[in-house]
Amino acid sequence: MSEIIQVTILGLALGGVIALMGSGLSLVFGVMRIVNLAHPSLIIAGAYVTYWGFKLWGVDPIVMLPVASLIMAAIGVLIYRLMFAREAKSARYSEMTVLLTFALAMMVEGLLGGLFTNTQRVTSPDYATAAFFIGDVFVPKGQLYAGIVSIVIIASLSLFLKYSRLGYAIRATTQNRDAAELLGVNVNFISVLAFAIGIGLAGAAGSLVSFVFSFFPAKQWEWIAMLMSVVVLGGMGSILGTVIAAFSLSIIAAFVGTWVGATWSTMTFFLALFVILLVRPQGLFGEKPELA
Amino acid sequence: MSELLRVTNITAGYGDGPAILDGAHLTVEPGKVHCIIGPNGAGKSTLLKAICGMLTIRKGDVVFKGERLNGLRPDQILRKGICFVPQERALFPKMTVRENLRMGGFILDDARELERRIEAILERFPILRERADQHAGTMSGGQQQTLAMARTLIIKPAIVMLDEPSLGLAPKIVQEMFDIMKMMSAEGVTVLLVEQNATMGLKNSDWGVVLDLGKTLFEGPATNVLSDPRIQELYLGGKKAA
Repeated sequence: MSEIIQVTILGLALGGVIALMGSGLSLVFGVMRIVNLAHPSLIIAGAYVTYWGFKLWGVDPIVMLPVASLIMAAIGVLIYRLMFAREAKSARYSEMTVLLTFALAMMVEGLLGGLFTNTQRVTSPDYATAAFFIGDVFVPKGQLYAGIVSIVIIASLSLFLKYSRLGYAIRATTQNRDAAELLGVNVNFISVLAFAIGIGLAGAAGSLVSFVFSFFPAKQWEWIAMLMSVVVLGGMGSILGTVIAAFSLSIIAAFVGTWVGATWSTMTFFLALFVILLVRPQGLFGEKPELA
Repeated sequence: MSELLRVTNITAGYGDGPAILDGAHLTVEPGKVHCIIGPNGAGKSTLLKAICGMLTIRKGDVVFKGERLNGLRPDQILRKGICFVPQERALFPKMTVRENLRMGGFILDDARELERRIEAILERFPILRERADQHAGTMSGGQQQTLAMARTLIIKPAIVMLDEPSLGLAPKIVQEMFDIMKMMSAEGVTVLLVEQNATMGLKNSDWGVVLDLGKTLFEGPATNVLSDPRIQELYLGGKKAA
């Protein structure tokens, strides 16, 4: 019984971080229909910002989180202006963004590899290797803190989207871009804003990831499949769906890792992606695709 | 004749494609209901989209209260007081009725005033108050159309443009939509209507505009349009309207 509780706790703690990693990807798709394959590479860029803040000045990764978010959000604005703004009215926009973001992912990986090599890195604040014990069950502090911070960020994002004026505009643009524009929303500005928030979330996730996982530029390929599974299961564009999917898959993966074998843990996500696409391509909370 | 909006010989189309409108003109008088009729593909919906800034005007002018609107974005044109309800009603299906109404007043800066106007709309349309917390996507077609039309009133617009508000609705509900339109007009809102059911549209309008192949062929009092034998033959099903 204690093993089940232990594995569930580990899955839950990781689920929060994975939900944060996926929520930016989901937001960007929801508002702009950009399938951002470069999202994990930008998470890794955020992790490097945090790593160097910790390494050079000893700044705690959680304290570095707002800095990494802001830097990555600013980079997001630049990327949007350079790569997507001009193509926004193209009929094949969504398909084009797959290729564009794939190229972006390669460029970011190359840049990070050139600057920092492919050595595995991890930030190591004291809590990263410490744990709480409740009877036989241990709760790793690093994963717990990362999970809590992730949930706080996602809850703040949800409240912002639900109640603020800009949040209304983002939700409206997600649901019906033309209608939002007809009601006075400057959808171009909202697109830039949502992209910046999405990449800012990647930066935030990077800060947390930096002490939960070891990372290096090519790690993105492992994460993109995992994040796509989470976002597709949740329903592309649904942040609530992403959160539920992240927790569900993380807990399942934790059990698979414990009972079947660690190497099979990642397979859980790939298998889930395969099954979802076959059985319910719109995911848990996504729109059913319309026939052309 | 006083005029609120004047469209002068405009040419417009989608993207780089061929011109759908080529020589369309229109005069809109304040407080009246104007109905644009014409066969499928005449450019009726395109004309409304061009006026509200969804399409780029290649030639000609759209002038509202003496100000040229060419080149403005839809959100900028809305701020001038021109609302557009497209055929698909432009609702947010996963937002509640109240949230949809709140989006209707997105351009208002005073949140308290917005809530007051939403209350006034809910007072006037009891069906919307009943459904205030229901997602718009789960309502019937008639209720959705009521919401789409009521939502335009939040900003107290000068002109409301309606693209086929009767599309897909049962005849009884269609009459309710025309009643709402008349109520808007009685309150001083100018209505510009595109209607496939031309006879019914004209009967509920003051002014008629006949559009074909992207050109305006005739505009004048709706009664004149209804009684013109040539227009009856070509655009009203060939029978004299009862």
